[in-house]
Amino acid sequence: MIDLEICCGTTCYMLGGAALLELEKALPEEWRQLVDVRAVPCTDACAREDLGRAPFVRLNGELIANATREKIYLRLSELVAAAGGEK
Amino acid sequence: MAEPFVEMEYCQITKDGQCACGDDFQWEKPAGEERCIAVLSDGLGSGIKANLLANMTTTMALKFMRSNKPILRSAEIIMDSLPVCEVRKISYATFTIVDLSAATGRARVIEMGNPGYIQLRGETEIPPCSTGNLVSSRWPDRQMDISEIQMAVGDRLIFCSDGVTQAGLGRPEYRFGWRRQGLLEFARELILADPGISARDLSRTIAFNAMSINPDRRCVDDITCAVIYLRKPRTLRIITGPPFHKEDDGAFAALAVPDGGKVIVCGGTTANIITRVLHREVHIDLKLACCSGGLPPPGRMDGVGLVTEGILTLTRVAGLLEAHEWEDAPAAAREIIGLIEESDAIEFVVGTKVNEAHQDPKLPVDLEIRRNIIKRLHEILEKDYGKKVTVRYF
Ligand code: FES
Repeated sequence: MIDLEICCGTTCYMLGGAALLELEKALPEEWRQLVDVRAVPCTDACAREDLGRAPFVRLNGELIANATREKIYLRLSELVAAAGGEK
Repeated sequence: MAEPFVEMEYCQITKDGQCACGDDFQWEKPAGEERCIAVLSDGLGSGIKANLLANMTTTMALKFMRSNKPILRSAEIIMDSLPVCEVRKISYATFTIVDLSAATGRARVIEMGNPGYIQLRGETEIPPCSTGNLVSSRWPDRQMDISEIQMAVGDRLIFCSDGVTQAGLGRPEYRFGWRRQGLLEFARELILADPGISARDLSRTIAFNAMSINPDRRCVDDITCAVIYLRKPRTLRIITGPPFHKEDDGAFAALAVPDGGKVIVCGGTTANIITRVLHREVHIDLKLACCSGGLPPPGRMDGVGLVTEGILTLTRVAGLLEAHEWEDAPAAAREIIGLIEESDAIEFVVGTKVNEAHQDPKLPVDLEIRRNIIKRLHEILEKDYGKKVTVRYF
């Protein structure tokens, strides 16, 4: 399973995270069984200046700053492909 | 034990066809005093005129009680001020006044013309004990009964206008109306079925039952039922904001473990601190994200309770409480308000560390400072909702 954590803390939510919270529904059918989408209260990255800008998500523990649907899809497709390759 | 909480609620139903209720109920907790004063008045007739009479009576009575004026003199002033009924030649002002000390449970009940009060300990009635009556030489046909009573934690006091006790008149099975006895039995049954029933639910159920036993279920007279419930306070702790000093995180997080009351955690960083210290997880229901109305969806923390986002949610809650309107509010705000509503004492535990990210000029709206939101909440909860509020800073 690929872990996708979407931050729904104040800063992320206001800077575009709100739109990401409904991402699960928009995922292609074949990805949905592979990805576990969860919301988290805050990734704590917003308090650090060196980690980039909100909104933040984490994919399998890896932090993605300035997250957009496109960015997440891109990284997800790599992870899905890698997972497929492992099978 | 903490001082008992006085839950004071009433329910009022206006006579069919009238635009204003001819009964009035007012209560207050005078600032700086552990005292509650409630007044219920039934104005002569119905509609606007009765409403004015009742309102004048409650307003004056409350004022006189607050300033500890002698009761006979106060009643005379009230009766002198009201217009006199052409037919009956009396200035019609019935009232029930309850002056209760929350700390000691001592109460004085002053009644003139309204149905007699009911005191219940659990479902057992403590029979009324009038300790005297007063008659004004100027208004000899108006007598005031005074009862000095002792309330214990768990006691309820029920008082009403005659729209309750005379309900059912006109139906063969209620030849003399519901009467005080009918109301007493009904209230006892309700308490037996639900020993913790709130003053709000009890007063509502009584008022609506009174209406429903009227012929054709019509409201043929104004109905008002008030209930005072002296009970152990229900506490709610709202924890928000990271502590100023990191070394306080442990003590701060420990407060998230409920100790007899309920707990809400508001804020992502706050939730993370508690998760870290207590090793508890947060589960957020993403299904609520679609109907979250501009607020992040609420979640749950194992063994703690509700978890929500901080500043946006609390700001919204303050606005909704100020507007007295939250029916269509987003899930997170509605859940917080629901818990506030069912609590008597609210304790805010506020971490004062400023989140630098909240100062980002790129944020689409200005975020209010946490302390200011808590100040707004503190004020409105005490002033409009009768909650006992305390704030503890970290
Ligand atoms: S609000 Fe998203 S990382 Fe803190």
